[in-house]
Amino acid sequence: MSTNVESQSSALPNDEKLYEKSKSLWQDAFERLLKDKMATASLVMVVLYAILATLSGFEILGGDWAVEIGGSYEAPSFKSINHLFGTDIFGRSVLQKCIHGIYIAMTVGFFAAMISIPIGLTLGAIAGYFGGRVDEFIVWLYTTFSSIPWIMLVTAIAFVGGGGLKSVCLSLGLTSWVGLCRLIRAEVIRHKEREYVQAANAVGASHFRMLFLHIIPNVLHVVIITFSLQFQTAIKAEVILSYLGLGVSGEPSWGIMINEAKLELSRGVYWQLAGATLFMFLIVLSFNLLGDALRDALDPKLKGKD
Amino acid sequence: MKKSLLAVVILAASIALVGCTKKKKDIGKVLHMPVPMAVKGFDPIHASDKYASDEIGKVYEGLLQYHYLKRPYELIPNLAEALPTVSEDGSTYTFKVKKGILFQDNEAFPGGKGRELVAADFVYSIKRVADPKLQSTGWWVLDGKIAGLNEWRKENSSKKVVDYSSVVEGLKALDKYTIQFKLTKPFPQFLYSLAMPFHFAVAREVVEKYKKEFLNHPVGTGPFQLTSKFNAQTRKITYIKNPTFRDKFYPTEGSEGDKEKGLLGSAGKKIPLVDKIEVSIIEEEQTRWLNFKKGNLDFNSIPKDDFANAITPSKDLTPEMNKKGMKLHIAASLDVTYSAFQHTDPLFKDNKKLRQAMSLGYDIKKVNELFYNGTAQPAQSIVPPGISGFMPSYNSPFRGRDLEGAKKLLASAGYPEGKGLPEILFEHIGTSPTSRQMAEFFQKNMSDLGINIRLSSNSWPELLKKIRTRTAQMWGIAWGADYPDAENFLQLLYGPNQTPGANGSNYNNSEFNTLFKKAAIMQAGPERKALYEKLNRIAAEEVPLIYGVHRTSFVIAQGWLKNFKATEFTGERAQYLGLDLDLKGKLAKEF
Repeated sequence: MSTNVESQSSALPNDEKLYEKSKSLWQDAFERLLKDKMATASLVMVVLYAILATLSGFEILGGDWAVEIGGSYEAPSFKSINHLFGTDIFGRSVLQKCIHGIYIAMTVGFFAAMISIPIGLTLGAIAGYFGGRVDEFIVWLYTTFSSIPWIMLVTAIAFVGGGGLKSVCLSLGLTSWVGLCRLIRAEVIRHKEREYVQAANAVGASHFRMLFLHIIPNVLHVVIITFSLQFQTAIKAEVILSYLGLGVSGEPSWGIMINEAKLELSRGVYWQLAGATLFMFLIVLSFNLLGDALRDALDPKLKGKD
Repeated sequence: MKKSLLAVVILAASIALVGCTKKKKDIGKVLHMPVPMAVKGFDPIHASDKYASDEIGKVYEGLLQYHYLKRPYELIPNLAEALPTVSEDGSTYTFKVKKGILFQDNEAFPGGKGRELVAADFVYSIKRVADPKLQSTGWWVLDGKIAGLNEWRKENSSKKVVDYSSVVEGLKALDKYTIQFKLTKPFPQFLYSLAMPFHFAVAREVVEKYKKEFLNHPVGTGPFQLTSKFNAQTRKITYIKNPTFRDKFYPTEGSEGDKEKGLLGSAGKKIPLVDKIEVSIIEEEQTRWLNFKKGNLDFNSIPKDDFANAITPSKDLTPEMNKKGMKLHIAASLDVTYSAFQHTDPLFKDNKKLRQAMSLGYDIKKVNELFYNGTAQPAQSIVPPGISGFMPSYNSPFRGRDLEGAKKLLASAGYPEGKGLPEILFEHIGTSPTSRQMAEFFQKNMSDLGINIRLSSNSWPELLKKIRTRTAQMWGIAWGADYPDAENFLQLLYGPNQTPGANGSNYNNSEFNTLFKKAAIMQAGPERKALYEKLNRIAAEEVPLIYGVHRTSFVIAQGWLKNFKATEFTGERAQYLGLDLDLKGKLAKEF
């Protein structure tokens, strides 16, 4: 029997390629993410902020924001690290306040996302999967919800919650699930018709199993991208709420610092504004870049294009 | 398409116009005044805040007013012919109303011509304050003071339509120009109350024509009138001189030094001195200040953060401002700021030592430096300087800061180092950075004593609601004089005045109440002064409130503004102000 030697030998590299392709989606996405230098830098920045927030949460860092380190409104100087961004009206270190602001911002971002994502994911998945009346109801719910101006809704809930960190997290969490809900619903409708779902159906898998073990893992990339974008939206919203006097009280936050700076600027005191905006700018930018990069990395259509 | 083209043309034209007016600068006799808060409306019976009552004072008038120049403040007749004749027992006041005073022209009157003001208008206007359906915010002033008025209010509260025709014993028009008040008990502040905007004269025809819209259609007898219907959303209120305004003249005498300051330059001239007023509502401090610096406003107070840019350490204007011809007016305000305790809370009620400890631990000197640029006067008690009852040489033993003393007091109150003391909730205004900073400072001071304060942020109406419903535990607020009498400050601590009255902290001390009741019906004199001082001393030593400061107002006026004098009662000011247009033209180069 004559055999085609060449075709056999060419099978080897083919196998290798196959092996390469069978890397998990996440591993592959992560590797592709790391190839993007900006994305890597953003990721590092986000991780750094998370570490700073944790340290500040345990008062290892930024816990001394209430301590007077000098006179009122001392300009930034290199006297000590705490003087780098100058002092505020009471002579407290602006740097320490900024670091405490990281803790506030990251807490708000994290918890707001942690409240909104389960709501959006569950409602979206149920709507897309079951369709019919259930779908109609959920679509009605989120359409109604999104027809209320967002900032009004947030302020109203923050008001009812009585202000403070908890009510800010709650109000942002409860108002920002609509976008994710829409996306997930559409994705689930698409996936419902796929063969793997039909196969699962054929072997008698329960609705719960099909939805949560088969479909949702396949749409999880949407959640991750939304998470990173929602995180920074929440940070910005906290700043706005605090600026309006509805946010945290009794401890520094970037919004409060910017609000104070509004009047201080005419004295020539720019450092509270500069400090708070710099810290906010970095984290918001990082999350945005990271969100974009994640979308590219997790999109199978863009595979191999980089 | 046509429409949009037209819009473009109009836009271009208006841009061109704006450009022109800017270049030309405003050189009519137009006064430019700022207001820092939105104005609710023009109904005198709701004039409970300074900003609305200032606007109302341009259009409406009362029987009496304060002399523009004389200090201490002196009441003079305005719509009244003269000061009233008072019966021997001091309970009946009879006023003659000036003849020939006309209401401003309005469609509400037959033929659109304003009719003559009569005594019955005052009867009607004051009944409106007592009208149970209208819910005036000024009822507390005359509550229980005028014979038959409380009964009239009660009778009408159950009726569907309030009956204005039924006669009130203590409030009668004897004839066309005579009005008589009968008081239920001596009320020495009665005449002051007639200078308050709540009791200004309105015309019944106008109220009945516009009904609910009345607050947007002010028609008074005053020196100015609105050019159009008032709109609460507006950012600019424009007034013109009332063409039918009576002959009213600028005062020919003033206080000492007024002549040297040029305040008598317009003596004897017919007022108002300007043709038009433009009032700009600008809530942002910085925007207001920048507008003033550009010459768009004729006067403005100095924001705390701009203090160093405007004033030298020797309390003069900076050379730059002097060059522009600006003038500085410094005057002590008749007010007191304070942090209030909720006395219905058992924690504070019978815990004098705790209150004293907190007061002694509060660094008032630093407060003055940080928030008032060192210009305010730390308050020793509730009565501000400038009125009888204030004790110039008195120093409260609970005014500090004396940290050690405060700690000792706290320990003897049963909370050594703050142990056993629950967290205290302090309410402040969240939208104002300064209010928040003040609250933070209080929090910091108290934490040095070991007292835990949690801050809670509110809007202004929210805070007022918490005070009214007695749900606020501690809060920061201030009180400005309604009239120059210590009674107006001491009543803040009078038990029967508890919320919804002016005693928001619900302090109730029987000794204080008895003395106050006695003082409140006394005529001015050394006896009353001694009693006021005694009350003031109790108010200091019992520490029902932690007093802050008596503020000083720093106002800068443009060089071309004439006759500006600092006053506590600003409603009538506009008619006395004049403009030097030549100087304005010359100075225009400097801006």
